[in-house]
Amino acid sequence: MNKSMLGIIDSTMVHAGLEELTLHRSAAAIPFGGRYRLIDFVLSNMVNSGIQSVAIFPKLQYRSLMDHLGSGRNWDLNRKRDGLFFFPSPSLNKSVTDPGSLEHFAEHIDFFNRSTQEYVVIANANTVYNMDLVPLLDWHIESGCDITEVRKDGASLGIYLVKKTTLLELLDSREESGYLSMRDAANDLRSQYKLCYYNYDGYAVTIDSIDKYYAVSMNLLRPEIWKQLFLKERPILTKVKDEPPARYSKTAAVHNSMVANGGEIEGTVENSIISRGVKIGKGAVVKNCIIMQKSQIGENCVVENLIMDKEVKIEAGVKVTASPEAPEVIRKGTIKGARATT
Amino acid sequence: MYKKKCVAMLLAGGKGSRLNSLTKRIAKPAVPFGGKYRIIDFTLSNCTNSGIHTVGILTQYQPLVLNSYIGIGSTWDLDRKNGGVTVLPPYSEASEVKWYSGTASAIYQNLNYLNEHEPEYVLILSGDHIYKMDYREMLNFHIEKGADTTISVIEVPWREASRFGIMNTDEAFEITEFEEKPSNPKNNLASMGIYIFNWKVLKEYLEMDHRNADSNHDFGKDIIPLLLEERKKLIAYPFKGYWKDVGTVQSLWEANMDLLDEDCELKLFDHSWRIYSVNPNQPPQYLAPEASICDALINEGCIIEGKVEKSVLFQGVTIEEGASVRHSVIMPDAIVGKGCVIEKAIISCGVRVPDGAIIRPKYKEDPVILVSHESILESLMR
Repeated sequence: MNKSMLGIIDSTMVHAGLEELTLHRSAAAIPFGGRYRLIDFVLSNMVNSGIQSVAIFPKLQYRSLMDHLGSGRNWDLNRKRDGLFFFPSPSLNKSVTDPGSLEHFAEHIDFFNRSTQEYVVIANANTVYNMDLVPLLDWHIESGCDITEVRKDGASLGIYLVKKTTLLELLDSREESGYLSMRDAANDLRSQYKLCYYNYDGYAVTIDSIDKYYAVSMNLLRPEIWKQLFLKERPILTKVKDEPPARYSKTAAVHNSMVANGGEIEGTVENSIISRGVKIGKGAVVKNCIIMQKSQIGENCVVENLIMDKEVKIEAGVKVTASPEAPEVIRKGTIKGARATT
Repeated sequence: MYKKKCVAMLLAGGKGSRLNSLTKRIAKPAVPFGGKYRIIDFTLSNCTNSGIHTVGILTQYQPLVLNSYIGIGSTWDLDRKNGGVTVLPPYSEASEVKWYSGTASAIYQNLNYLNEHEPEYVLILSGDHIYKMDYREMLNFHIEKGADTTISVIEVPWREASRFGIMNTDEAFEITEFEEKPSNPKNNLASMGIYIFNWKVLKEYLEMDHRNADSNHDFGKDIIPLLLEERKKLIAYPFKGYWKDVGTVQSLWEANMDLLDEDCELKLFDHSWRIYSVNPNQPPQYLAPEASICDALINEGCIIEGKVEKSVLFQGVTIEEGASVRHSVIMPDAIVGKGCVIEKAIISCGVRVPDGAIIRPKYKEDPVILVSHESILESLMR
């Protein structure tokens, strides 16, 4: 039996709750965990499960996503046969809020027709998890299911498994069935298909709001959580950068934090996620923050409870804080001078 | 094949026996350095940053790790359709197997590689120095001076001059005399082991040297003296900047400590001249609530629960609770157990230092301690 899978990553959804972080990028491309983007989790899960052909369906604002993925080399997807495919939508007027947009897939029906894999895994791009998809496939086959939805604690994780032939039928009959998405197809009580729900026990959270983004990021500081996400045998792969190791000066004091390469840290950092190439000046205090790539925090600054997008600059001596209950997003490229405080 | 202006030949076959157990299983250019790199990264990054995209790498001693590290050269952007990286190991011919007996014989045996590229100039490099250098500037100097051979030199402290190959020059940088490790040096310009040759001159002299049965087939001992004797135009190119030969355990440790010096001339964080390296793709370093870190260079994949001061930690290192690491270099995937005290040491790749171990020199001035699997086993036996 041909047990090979095709990977489909649906990045067409718009999440109103993530607006502050998705002004210039899709949810798939939101930086996460100091050196990753959200799509790295699903993409690595697919590759680590032996999937060699992955198609990404993006909708809006996909420049940063394309830049991140490149030829797929970092995921070993720069193949002569199969590999990484990128299918932007030619035109799509319907706003999609559910994962697995059938209309978008239908626009690229040739790809599905040409693919030789027997099964298709369709997943959203904004779930943080490290899941082996092979047991899911085995379970799907053994249970004789037609459409399997992966759930955690009774809620959908936006991951679906079907036979390719079933997917083609769903695409073909979407006018009659009225299904817009895989979610519709997997939850129709009158369905002619055998619908199944596969329960996933491991750590998995779909990021669809700023609060969740902040909470899941902070969860990375708990060893019992990151040990479930970052496994030696199933690494989360990402675009590598040639940054030097992080440099801590004599004045640095860092506790309970994650720090990526290329950082230059001279101040105090607590309970924070520090991304690649971040500079933190002498005497600065950073607490409960997520600082994205290449942001700079000047000398003697105080920053607390913030999500600082890329390339933000906080000038020396400035204090920017938010309440722990409502972490604030500082937009990409913002410069906070001496007068701007919140 | 297009003609190339300049092709680099990188000598990476040395044993590096003064690095003791560090080079037991890997060639010296593959020895880890600076928390993330291997020694050869500096030379290869210099090549790519200098626009030299055709590099022959001559390997011989323990090449397994080095070869797989080099791969097709994509790490340094040297995977090229025309040129790129070519690993050149010794090979057998119909009549005999020829090992590389010296630096010159290694190049001589690969004259075919150079013939194929037909360069105007050949840059000879070695894979065992830490430095950032724009080879284009040296090549321009070579062309301007109308030299047959240019040798890059650096001023070393006078008291150390007798450890190096010293170039005596006139005011126009022309080399008048070469002295290998002179006991009474007349000059403090040391050869950095970087040569640019006009290809035709190099070919002629390598062939001449090959016919000489008494030769050691070494650039420093044979080719350079022969060129001087024949009154070829040899020019010294004065290099300014950080340069360090990391041929001994002590100098390797010193060079790592140099990186922690804020005034160090070697700027790893200068993005205009990046040092490229195989990225291990590990999660960011995790610093536990009880961790304490200052004056350190730490790579991804590290888990730190103890105290780290003035040290360099490579990827995947674990420092367990209550351990203290000072003035040390911890190589990839090593684990420092609970409550250990490590001072002025190099812990080799993958070594597990057992809980509570104390590794430090008796006196501050004592040489650095190299800790390997074998030395851990020996001490456990005692």
